[in-house]
Amino acid sequence: MRNTFRKMLATPYALFMALFIILPIVLIAVYAFMDKDGAFTLLGNFKDLAEKEALPKVIKNSVIAGLSTSVICLLIGYPIAYYLTKKEFNRTGVMIGLFLVPMWINFLLRMVSTKAVFTALNIPLGMGTVIYGLCYEFLPFMIMPIYTTIQKIDKCYIEGAEDLGATPIKAFWKVTVPLSMPGIISGMTMVIIPSITTFAVTEILSNGKLMLLGDYIYSLRTYNLNLASAISLALMVLLAISMIITNKFNKDENGGGIW
Amino acid sequence: MVRKIAIITFIAIVLILLYLPIVWMIVFSFSDTPSFSNWNGFTFQNYIDLFTGQSSNAERIQEAVVNTLFVGAFTSLLSTILGTLGAIGLHAIHSKRIKAAYSTVNQIPMINSEIVTAIALALLFTLISTTFEISSGSWLETAIKLILAHTTFCTPYVLLNVLPRLQKSDNKIYEAALDLGCTPAKAMWKVVIPDIMPGIVIGALLSFTLSIDDFIITKINVTSFETLSTLLYGLKSGKHPLPADIKALFTIIFFVVFAAIMIIYSPKKKSQTNK
Repeated sequence: MRNTFRKMLATPYALFMALFIILPIVLIAVYAFMDKDGAFTLLGNFKDLAEKEALPKVIKNSVIAGLSTSVICLLIGYPIAYYLTKKEFNRTGVMIGLFLVPMWINFLLRMVSTKAVFTALNIPLGMGTVIYGLCYEFLPFMIMPIYTTIQKIDKCYIEGAEDLGATPIKAFWKVTVPLSMPGIISGMTMVIIPSITTFAVTEILSNGKLMLLGDYIYSLRTYNLNLASAISLALMVLLAISMIITNKFNKDENGGGIW
Repeated sequence: MVRKIAIITFIAIVLILLYLPIVWMIVFSFSDTPSFSNWNGFTFQNYIDLFTGQSSNAERIQEAVVNTLFVGAFTSLLSTILGTLGAIGLHAIHSKRIKAAYSTVNQIPMINSEIVTAIALALLFTLISTTFEISSGSWLETAIKLILAHTTFCTPYVLLNVLPRLQKSDNKIYEAALDLGCTPAKAMWKVVIPDIMPGIVIGALLSFTLSIDDFIITKINVTSFETLSTLLYGLKSGKHPLPADIKALFTIIFFVVFAAIMIIYSPKKKSQTNK
């Protein structure tokens, strides 16, 4: 009885979620299997997409950009996260904060300023500058989960390995890296899918020459919502699969998201 | 020692690259030229022009600032109310299944690609405007649409900031307030809300920041409604993409955001040292 009042407080947001989260996703599924006139079609939209000349190139660019961004972010982010868990480099926790501040500055502003810097330095815009921009935007999303997982690793494991005769390098590869795997996996998922579906970064940093999936969906949105929905649905399925894989690695729930 | 210097250098280089475009903008906001090649010295002119409304983009800037703050404030208000009530309710629910369903749906907007959320909301708004035949396209209608769209992706963060506070607080105080004669609503207001206030404040600040920063969902869901993000997007293709007054404006915004982040992160640090 006493709890009824408090339980009732969950209702407004439950209704809001039903209307603004669940219903829109249902609409995407409906639109993805509907042609322009509103008739049901099982694979029509996906067939149309497969026939689009631009799409293979967009997918190729997205794979290149997404893979290089996540690998570069991992190669830069892991050492940073690792050393920042050590007191000698991050005594007060301010250092990790410095890596998070840019995340809160409007990303368009950062991208437009980056373009201004590149232009002033006469650096030609293209795939290289796009990948640079994506790494810039998503590096904190790689550092944070890895940082929180490494922080949680019990130092005893590493000391134990060293007591049993492992060199520090061997202890790092055999103990720290495997134990930080959940952080690496959530970092990768937090970088790879957002980086290929982000929109505007590519356009700004390649002067409109390149298109990734996000830009492509945006361009479809203006004239064909059904095709845009079909790609969105495919993306959600991809995301769901990657979430399932991530959860398998993070069974003990210490994957360490940003929040 | 050599190793330590190498590591510090590496960290420093990455930090410099992260801050380079921002520092670049701040430096040139005090100059009337777009690059070092024709540096004319230090000036406050851009700031004076910005505040006296004499700069080249004065009207657009004014409109964008008003729109962004309006949408941000109401998004923050609405998502803080929904998220806080949701968290209190979720905390009181005992059924594991309902709990799991509630928090899973809550996390969808955080996990889903922003562009997918944007398209999904666009479909919803199309459905609503055709069913109820509202498509006046007035300023208020557009603003309400944006506030609802922003609330969708901001509320999850409020809920997830309030929930840990509830889990830490003692349920018995609420029970005691009821025993001492409070109505549930009064006990909520006098006991529970003050207890979880830090989480609510952080949630409100977070949703305000997320709302004023948003671009993808805004761009896809509204046309002819200028926010700071769409204003920046409109400048993307210029040869010198950042006009002087825009640099001045965003330099000011940068320092405001910086101060807000310090507020958001400082209580967390305290609780970490308390452990």
